[in-house]
Amino acid sequence: MVSCAILKWRVDSPAPSVDAVLSDKSAQMTPKELEESLKEDIEKAYDPREQAVDVLYALQRQHGHLSDEAMREASRLLGMTPLELDELATFYDFLYREPVGKYVIHVCDSVVCWMHGHQSVMDYIAERLGVGLGGTTPDGMFTLLPTCCLGYCDRAPAMLINGRVYGELTGEKIDRILQELREEEPPLALDR
Amino acid sequence: MPKLIIDDREIEVPEGTRVIEAAEHLGIMIPRFCYHPALGAAGACRVCAVKVIEGPVKGIQMSCMMEARDGMVVSTTDEEAMEFRRFVIELLMLNHPHDCPVCDEGGHCLLQDETVSGGHAHRRTSMKKRTYRDQDLGPFIRHEMNRCIHCYRCSRFYQDFAGGLDYGPLRLGDRTYFGRFTEGRLESPFAGNLIDVCPTGTLTDKPSRYSIRRWHGERGPSLCISCSLGCSTVANAYLRDLVRIEANYNESVNGFFICDRGRFGFYYAKHPERPRRARVDVSEAPTPEALREAAKRLARIAATHGPGAVACIGSTRSSLETMGALVRLCETSGWRKPVFFSDPAMQRKVRTAVSRIDKRLHVSLREIEKADFILAVGADPLNEAPMLALAMRQASRNEAAVAVIDSRPVVLPLDFERLAVARHDVEACLNVIMREAVSDEDLKIAIEKLPGGADGAASRAADFYTGIRNAGEGLPPEVRVRALKIAAQLKAAHRPIIVCGVDAVCETTPALAADHASILSGLKERAGIFYILPGANAFGAALLSSPIGEGASSFFEEIEKGEVKALVVVECDPLGQFPDRRRIEKALGNLELLVVLDYLPSETVKQAHIFVPTNTHYESGGCFVNQEGRAQFTPPVYAGGEPNRQETGGAHPPRVFRSHIPGGGPEPAWKLLAPLGAAPRGEAPELRGNLRSILDGLHPAFEQLADSPIPPVGERPSTYYARFLAEGALHVGSLAPQDCGALAFASSDAGEKAPGVGKDDERLEIILTEWTFGSEELSSYSPYILQAEAEKEPCACMQTEDASRLGISDGDLVALRSAGGGGLTVRIRVVENMARGCIILPRHGRLAWQDLEPSPVQASVERVKK
Repeated sequence: MVSCAILKWRVDSPAPSVDAVLSDKSAQMTPKELEESLKEDIEKAYDPREQAVDVLYALQRQHGHLSDEAMREASRLLGMTPLELDELATFYDFLYREPVGKYVIHVCDSVVCWMHGHQSVMDYIAERLGVGLGGTTPDGMFTLLPTCCLGYCDRAPAMLINGRVYGELTGEKIDRILQELREEEPPLALDR
Repeated sequence: MPKLIIDDREIEVPEGTRVIEAAEHLGIMIPRFCYHPALGAAGACRVCAVKVIEGPVKGIQMSCMMEARDGMVVSTTDEEAMEFRRFVIELLMLNHPHDCPVCDEGGHCLLQDETVSGGHAHRRTSMKKRTYRDQDLGPFIRHEMNRCIHCYRCSRFYQDFAGGLDYGPLRLGDRTYFGRFTEGRLESPFAGNLIDVCPTGTLTDKPSRYSIRRWHGERGPSLCISCSLGCSTVANAYLRDLVRIEANYNESVNGFFICDRGRFGFYYAKHPERPRRARVDVSEAPTPEALREAAKRLARIAATHGPGAVACIGSTRSSLETMGALVRLCETSGWRKPVFFSDPAMQRKVRTAVSRIDKRLHVSLREIEKADFILAVGADPLNEAPMLALAMRQASRNEAAVAVIDSRPVVLPLDFERLAVARHDVEACLNVIMREAVSDEDLKIAIEKLPGGADGAASRAADFYTGIRNAGEGLPPEVRVRALKIAAQLKAAHRPIIVCGVDAVCETTPALAADHASILSGLKERAGIFYILPGANAFGAALLSSPIGEGASSFFEEIEKGEVKALVVVECDPLGQFPDRRRIEKALGNLELLVVLDYLPSETVKQAHIFVPTNTHYESGGCFVNQEGRAQFTPPVYAGGEPNRQETGGAHPPRVFRSHIPGGGPEPAWKLLAPLGAAPRGEAPELRGNLRSILDGLHPAFEQLADSPIPPVGERPSTYYARFLAEGALHVGSLAPQDCGALAFASSDAGEKAPGVGKDDERLEIILTEWTFGSEELSSYSPYILQAEAEKEPCACMQTEDASRLGISDGDLVALRSAGGGGLTVRIRVVENMARGCIILPRHGRLAWQDLEPSPVQASVERVKK
């Protein structure tokens, strides 16, 4: 049903965009096992649409971020248009459409953290890493991003790094966390 | 019905009316961006705030999100509400680039209006503005995201209303971006409506960019003649240049929207090669001289070979005035009756369709949206009449079941049940569905209610239903299973509509569809038949054509036999638009005289011995009857002439006084026809351009027409007709009779038999068909339509099984050879969801489909070696 939806406008001929995307053999960049398991999950769902975010996360875990190719691959697996998926991918904070560092630091950007020095935390990390908001350190270790409320208000200001939450942040604590992460072995995987 | 008070004035509105609409009834225009009558409200822009003084929730409320309630008291002028709106508009304007002087929307921009009405006059912030990168959205629409205020009208139209999935909102918050995944043409054929829907200059008309301010142009209500639906448009002309077409609201036909073929297909009117001077043999001549010469030669031929040696061909794109004048010309001169269709079968099909629409079964395009079951029989709405597909989508969004019986790989912007069967099995499928959905008791009730029951229709209907008891036997089992499912849906429906095409169906199908619709109308709350006809005025042509089955092809036969010596072709292009080109070429070569009247730079015009230029409907106006019998008069929008842009190369118009319109030679075809006749001067009927004088006595249906509103002497047409702008095209009457009294119920085996295609046969039936872009005659002259479809190579479709049997794979180049010796080479697209045993070939401008004989034609298929 949904795969017919994707072909909707290809009224009359071998159309360019979607068609090219669907038949693009070079888009085969995901390992076979992952693809099979994703297909299985999609099969189980009442509507492939409900698996969309999970598939995007899975591909992001695999490839580090959601490149255009990864988006097309998700489109192929789910039978949704790349645009529909891009609407999701660009909406959610934890889906990355551009390459990110090994650790993605999400500083909480909501009311309670604002009242507890969110800005100075943000500025401190930026100064320590030498990158601005949205930037990645040249060594590819850290990316700095904001996020909406982490629900860690009782321990504001807070931040989230690869799925691990840190609260009651101070300059020293941030330094310590960054140092630990640099030395962590094996590195904390990109969760979510 | 709730009664409420808005700004101290009382009004009673129907249940469910929003406050913003109730205010409109009082003439109070509450500011709005996200609210649109067709799209509803999103509550996204917050600019329609009003103060509720009495009501369920008091205080500042969004008038688009609030239903009118009894006893409500609302103020739009309350200070608090006004202040709220002022802040909202200031907020919305924070990032707007204020580039109105170079913005095409400037002057008819809702954002400008609401900024002024909201009272925001001074920018108080000096912050940096957010900016975006724009995308190339193809040849139709220009993208300027910086101007966007995030009202979501575009994505709500594109995705929800029109079903497009390649354009939508990306990112979030104040960085929300409306665009595509990658740059490229918007895939929906309704994308052009984004231009009208967008309340800012974010999405504007690309072809007319920088060429007109709305108040500079001549602007008037007009009509689209690119298919048979007759959608209302607004045409804008500037310095003799037709610049832009917009959708016009028409309550009964197209609502607020039109398709891209109608919006961008009008460029034929200003084609650089459009013939504007009359021609006799090889030399140009003034129009009166050319007409005199033509009349002289026609009279000589009629005198030597008899009046039967002169034949006239018209077309379905002419106005009723032109068609009527042509019929009169032939009558008064004693020539053969004119034909308006390419072949006799088509004429018979359209005449049947036209004869079967009466008040009981008549449905307008907008009523399609209210149906709860739609069965398309031999119809491909998106390609043949695009706006019908949009209407069907609205029905589908309201939970209507939609099913399609067709041999072609029909695509619709909605989920539907498909019966992909061969042309000659379409009727069997329809019969199976009807037999299953109508029980014997129901049938008795329905038959009693049939009109004209006295003439034996009742017994014929009963016999017919008995005869189709086993209609499904020849059908493949999976088709039967699906037909039963559709029948169950039909059984449960209250407002079913049968949509029937006439192009790719057997001759008996249109009548059968109407018969079944009549039965349904006796059982259901409301049932109807909706035909798709070939051409904007096919309905009128059918009324005016002779009952003897004749088509242009009959004339070519007569020419070959030497019976016809002179041909008058009026606004028709047999060489470009009819099949069997070699034969037509030869026939035209055999003629002693070929007179052509047209406004297109067509092949036929080039062949003419005498050519006389005519006007488009934008210049002369005219009455067109759409496929449901709605006669609509479209007034002239501008006086015509060679666009200044072409004359001066885009410079300022020459500063000289001129007594004539440059390139303004053409005249309405109906005016030019009378002088061609054999009637002596003074005795020729005087045609004054109003409908009644031309059509009087030609067909009883025309008596129902009001006269076309001709502006008073001295009044500029565009000013005069501007007052009708809100009403869409001027509805001058409906030609559908109260009761057509006809019921065919031909016996079930009268239909066309399957062509002898065996399982292993290499011969396949070729079905010529339409494409949204590229096959329709007028829009094919538009460079923008050509640009839009240029990226897709036109191709023929073939079913998977046929392809594997013949060893053909997707994308192969294939040579089609018909028995008559015609043939062409075309790329094949292999598709699953179409009928077996046939090839679907579009009448595409870039394919030499005219080399084939008239359809149905069988052809052998051979892969071209690479």
